[in-house]
Amino acid sequence: MSGPAAFAIALITAVLLIPVAWSEESKVVIGPRNLDLSDGAQELLAGNAREGLELTLRGLRSAQGKREKEAALSNLCAGYIMIDRLDSALMYCNMLLLSNDRHWRGYNNRALIYVMREEYEKAEKDLAMGQEINPNARTLKVVKGMFLDATHPVSPNIIIDDRKRKSADVSVKEQS
Amino acid sequence: MTTAGQTSVTALICLAVASSAIVLADDSTRVTRITHMEDASSDRMPSVTAVPQYPEIARRDRIEGEATVCYTIDARGRIRRPTVRRSSHKMFAKQSLKAIKKSSYEPLRSNQKAAVVKTCRTFRFLLKPVAIEEIE
Repeated sequence: MSGPAAFAIALITAVLLIPVAWSEESKVVIGPRNLDLSDGAQELLAGNAREGLELTLRGLRSAQGKREKEAALSNLCAGYIMIDRLDSALMYCNMLLLSNDRHWRGYNNRALIYVMREEYEKAEKDLAMGQEINPNARTLKVVKGMFLDATHPVSPNIIIDDRKRKSADVSVKEQS
Repeated sequence: MTTAGQTSVTALICLAVASSAIVLADDSTRVTRITHMEDASSDRMPSVTAVPQYPEIARRDRIEGEATVCYTIDARGRIRRPTVRRSSHKMFAKQSLKAIKKSSYEPLRSNQKAAVVKTCRTFRFLLKPVAIEEIE
């Protein structure tokens, strides 16, 4: 696995890995409520995209509540990016963002899809939305970097300045 | 047509290329353009000039900057006590210090006085836009 597929692992919604605690008739239950979803996320994080997708799809069918459904959609989007099925990934990202238009991971993942499909204007809009919601997200910075490399590539240029004075008699040596 | 000034600069470049080596401080697959600026006030001739790697995160986030490292050069041309005097970002400071530690100067000849020279080197980290030619 390489490139964007490997990077997609970082985008799996980690929320499912955090034990869920909730109160139900004065009982406190700790642990993942939707095991398929939780195991699916684990498989995706381990790089086992197909197993992860299968479990996550099953988890989506039994998802209870908005939070579980959104986590499933987010992970399906990321999982399909991992196996380069961008149409399916886009479908799940769109469903996620229809359900919650403040889901920064959804914008992050969809921006990545658009970068991979060379639809840069759409990617830029999603990146702007994602960064507005979560300005410090590392993954958004990485996707932004991929977007910039595709649209505004740059070449590093290092100047070594040994001058003691900024005088006119300068020897300049260049090397590429 | 070339002016006398241009000719002398060219001569100095040739001299410098023949006598010192520019090396990358890290294994880097990225193409980096390197410019080395010197003037007549340089007391010692560089032997190995290590070039810092452009920090990957700075490149990704399109951050430019600079760092100045000061150090002493001993009689054998080795760099001693390098310290970062100023830098616009710690990423640049770290890479610059690493490069200085891998650099060296020509040793003093036997008839030269064994003086310890203190000097500074500034590294400027810039990003140049690359033009892409569309192929139809």
